[in-house]
Amino acid sequence: MTALRTTLVDTATSGKARLASDRWRGAPYLLPALIFLGLFFLAPLIGLLLRGILEPTPGLSNYAQLFANSAYSKVLFNTFAVAGLVTLISLLLAFPLAWAITLVPRGWGRALLGIVLLSMWTSLLARTYSWLVLLQASGVINKVLMAFGVIDQPLEMVHNLTGVVIGMTYIMIPFIVLPLQATMSAIDPMVLQAGSICGASPWRNFFRVFIPLCRPGIFSGALMVFVMSLGYYVTPALLGGAQNMMLPEFIVQQVQSFLNWGVASAAAALLIVITLALFYVYLKLQPESPAASATAR
Amino acid sequence: MNAVVRENQPSSVLVSLRNLNKHYGDFTAVDNISLEIRDGEFLTFLGSSGSGKSTTLSMLAGFETPSSGEILVSGSSLINVPPHKRDIGMVFQRYSLFPHLNVRDNIEFPLTLRKMTTAERQKRVDAMLKLVQLEAFAHRRPAQLSGGQQQRVAIARALVYEPRILLMDEPLGALDKKLREDLQDELRHLHRRLGITIVYVTHDQEEAMRLSQRIAIFSHGQIVGLGSGYDLYQSPPNAFVASFLGNSNFLRVKSVANASASFEGQSLTTVPVGGLTAGQDVLLMLRPEKIRALSVEAAQQTALPSGWNEISAKVREIVFLGESLTCNVVTPGGTELTVKSLGSGLQNVQPGADVRVRWAAADACLYDQWNDADLSKGAGAH
Amino acid sequence: MLLSANAMGPRLRFGLFTVNAVIAAFLLLPILFIVLLSFGSSQWLVFPPPGWTFKWYEQFFSNAQWMQSAFVSLKVALLTTVFATVLGLPTAFALVRGKFPGRDLLYALFTLPMIVPLVIIAVATYALFLKFGYTGTLTAFVISHVIVALPFTIISIINSLKLFDQSIEDAAVICGASRWQAILKVTFPAIRPGLVAGGLFAFLVSWDEVVLSIMMASPGLQTLPVKMWTTLRQDLTPVIAVASTLLIALSILIMLVAALLRRRAELKG
Repeated sequence: MTALRTTLVDTATSGKARLASDRWRGAPYLLPALIFLGLFFLAPLIGLLLRGILEPTPGLSNYAQLFANSAYSKVLFNTFAVAGLVTLISLLLAFPLAWAITLVPRGWGRALLGIVLLSMWTSLLARTYSWLVLLQASGVINKVLMAFGVIDQPLEMVHNLTGVVIGMTYIMIPFIVLPLQATMSAIDPMVLQAGSICGASPWRNFFRVFIPLCRPGIFSGALMVFVMSLGYYVTPALLGGAQNMMLPEFIVQQVQSFLNWGVASAAAALLIVITLALFYVYLKLQPESPAASATAR
Repeated sequence: MNAVVRENQPSSVLVSLRNLNKHYGDFTAVDNISLEIRDGEFLTFLGSSGSGKSTTLSMLAGFETPSSGEILVSGSSLINVPPHKRDIGMVFQRYSLFPHLNVRDNIEFPLTLRKMTTAERQKRVDAMLKLVQLEAFAHRRPAQLSGGQQQRVAIARALVYEPRILLMDEPLGALDKKLREDLQDELRHLHRRLGITIVYVTHDQEEAMRLSQRIAIFSHGQIVGLGSGYDLYQSPPNAFVASFLGNSNFLRVKSVANASASFEGQSLTTVPVGGLTAGQDVLLMLRPEKIRALSVEAAQQTALPSGWNEISAKVREIVFLGESLTCNVVTPGGTELTVKSLGSGLQNVQPGADVRVRWAAADACLYDQWNDADLSKGAGAH
Repeated sequence: MLLSANAMGPRLRFGLFTVNAVIAAFLLLPILFIVLLSFGSSQWLVFPPPGWTFKWYEQFFSNAQWMQSAFVSLKVALLTTVFATVLGLPTAFALVRGKFPGRDLLYALFTLPMIVPLVIIAVATYALFLKFGYTGTLTAFVISHVIVALPFTIISIINSLKLFDQSIEDAAVICGASRWQAILKVTFPAIRPGLVAGGLFAFLVSWDEVVLSIMMASPGLQTLPVKMWTTLRQDLTPVIAVASTLLIALSILIMLVAALLRRRAELKG
């Protein structure tokens, strides 16, 4: 059987030293993509990060500035506050969705899943534009609220952090629904029956059994959304105001308007480090990373 | 010892199911079941899948609501009581332990939902861990345990709050044969020691026989046989039970008179059965181990005892099974019979030889009503 | 109980249903709103619109800039799809079937563009193209889009390759096919759904890409999202609603195609 499993790769490398070819079986096929990513992704990325410690003068002055300048640190604060708030709200809204999709995968759960996927794959710019129109002072939401007498004056819901949070939450919901729903559908319903027969009321069963069992999905979904929110550019740039910038917008501004590559790349480095660190935690939370299952063969 | 004493006493009724029905649309899962479960007994629902046994158990647990009928425990109705207030323990087929809790917390879980001091909880959990011999594993997660260990945790979790009734839904189905037999013995001992009422669901008749004091045989949503394993096997109430439980031979005979019948033109003695008219079709059931097959010479040398019948047949096949020998024979009329013999009486009979088949009339059971479909193994499911 | 709709209490079921109806409305609202608005006659995006009209569509289709940007978008998306698939296919094969040290690490590397914030990839590649004078070219658009589309094609193909039982390919070899023939005639048809899905993902990623495109664009060469973006920053004209509606329509179309392909694959399986 093993003799048969001479994969496509052997045919290419046979003739070369047997040991070396066995050790690197299949690796040559990675080269095109590897060269492409190396040239156009890794090299520029490293170049960018280097500029943070080389420009304008070698040293850590850019980083010092990033934390010392109060305008800059406000950007950092905004970024984390918005990402945290967005994560929390999208979690609260995604939970019932995921639950219903798990409960009735054929009935209205299917319709809900369709809506979630539609919203996820609909152009980001189109949805953000729509929120811009909906939330503006003369927009539908303000009009409806005023018509019902909830408010007397239009609320300012756009060009500030409120707008950013609403728009981002809207965009992030699908990214929690999907992992959460996957976790929920993997739960053995009998375990909840067991909780019930042990004496747990539905209420207690929910908090003591159901929620703990959903925890992996909640964690990975929330972490994913938090990480994505930190790096989002389009929605904050359109729905936010010039006063309350977030990190990605700040980076672009430094590069395009001020040509201040040093500070921009220091900020970029910060964003990358946080993103990768959180993503590492995310991978650790996964019972089986995609890479791990790729090896399973 | 306790249970043995109980068996001899007419004990009180703990649970009554009265005219219980469960329909799913047009489909009748449980068809008008009435049953009384005695306090302290080990009762098994036996049937193939889809026979209604698990649905009945689910209604008892409260996971399914009956379409109609009544469930009484100690005289009061359970119908409108949600599962968490029924005070019933249950062991599930795939254990259904809480994967996020360790063994100790799993067992303690039901106690945390009840008003109880921490010390009392500790004491009870310790006692349970000891009972199921899992003290050393108290801090493991369910995923780190073997199937048998998980099942013990599930049992401990179901017993720790001392429920009145313990329901077990094919709890050993996922285990391998050896482990299953060990746990069956453990369960039987546990039942004797605790004296708790156990309702057990299985499709494995050997398991039912090994464990239970009484067996309720389910078929098409109805209970078609109820009694001890011994009674159900030795004198099945109907052809379905005869065919379902163990191996059986069926002979289609015609009633001649009160205690005689004819089979393929030969006359047979039977036990007296009332209510039969002459010429009526009757089904005669014989367990393979109750039949003897003798070679023609041997039959000539041994006189037929009184009250016995003899018919002739031809050997088709002989299979040696270790402790026993199985011999398939065919009568001239084409009826196939299986003869099981523990001794070596058939050693010198070869396939194709003529034999005489004998049985005692008292060992045969007679049925005047039956469904042809019931006579094959595996009937009973919808 | 909590995971069975039938065993759930009616109050809980009703509550869950209501909450979800509201959230679903929240998810659908902006999408429906924008489609309606594109047909509304109000220049100032008054809602409900005073009347209905096709004039914004006429404006969109008669405006050379809008049309050109849509054409550029299409060209970039198609090129991205082709390159991302061509690069992704051998990579996926090597990652699933190859045996070499550091494979998990390499897998992580190939998915890295999905994780690193887009804005950083945009700024980094912008710096590169700036240095070599390539900003504002089709090449810059395609290269930057392929970077972010590549993980989608790789993962999609990996998934279908893992589902494919390699012993079927071995069986073809036993029957006398060469390894390459077996891959071409047995393996490829089997993983085609993954290949197509990966391609669709790549197309959609490129088609919808804003951040990278903004950095790569020049006044002379821009994609539809870039044109929308720059217009948006000036005023909220309903023509943007038209562009948005067309983007939404295309997304739905691609989703339907993907669903159809999946169903066909399921039926075959």
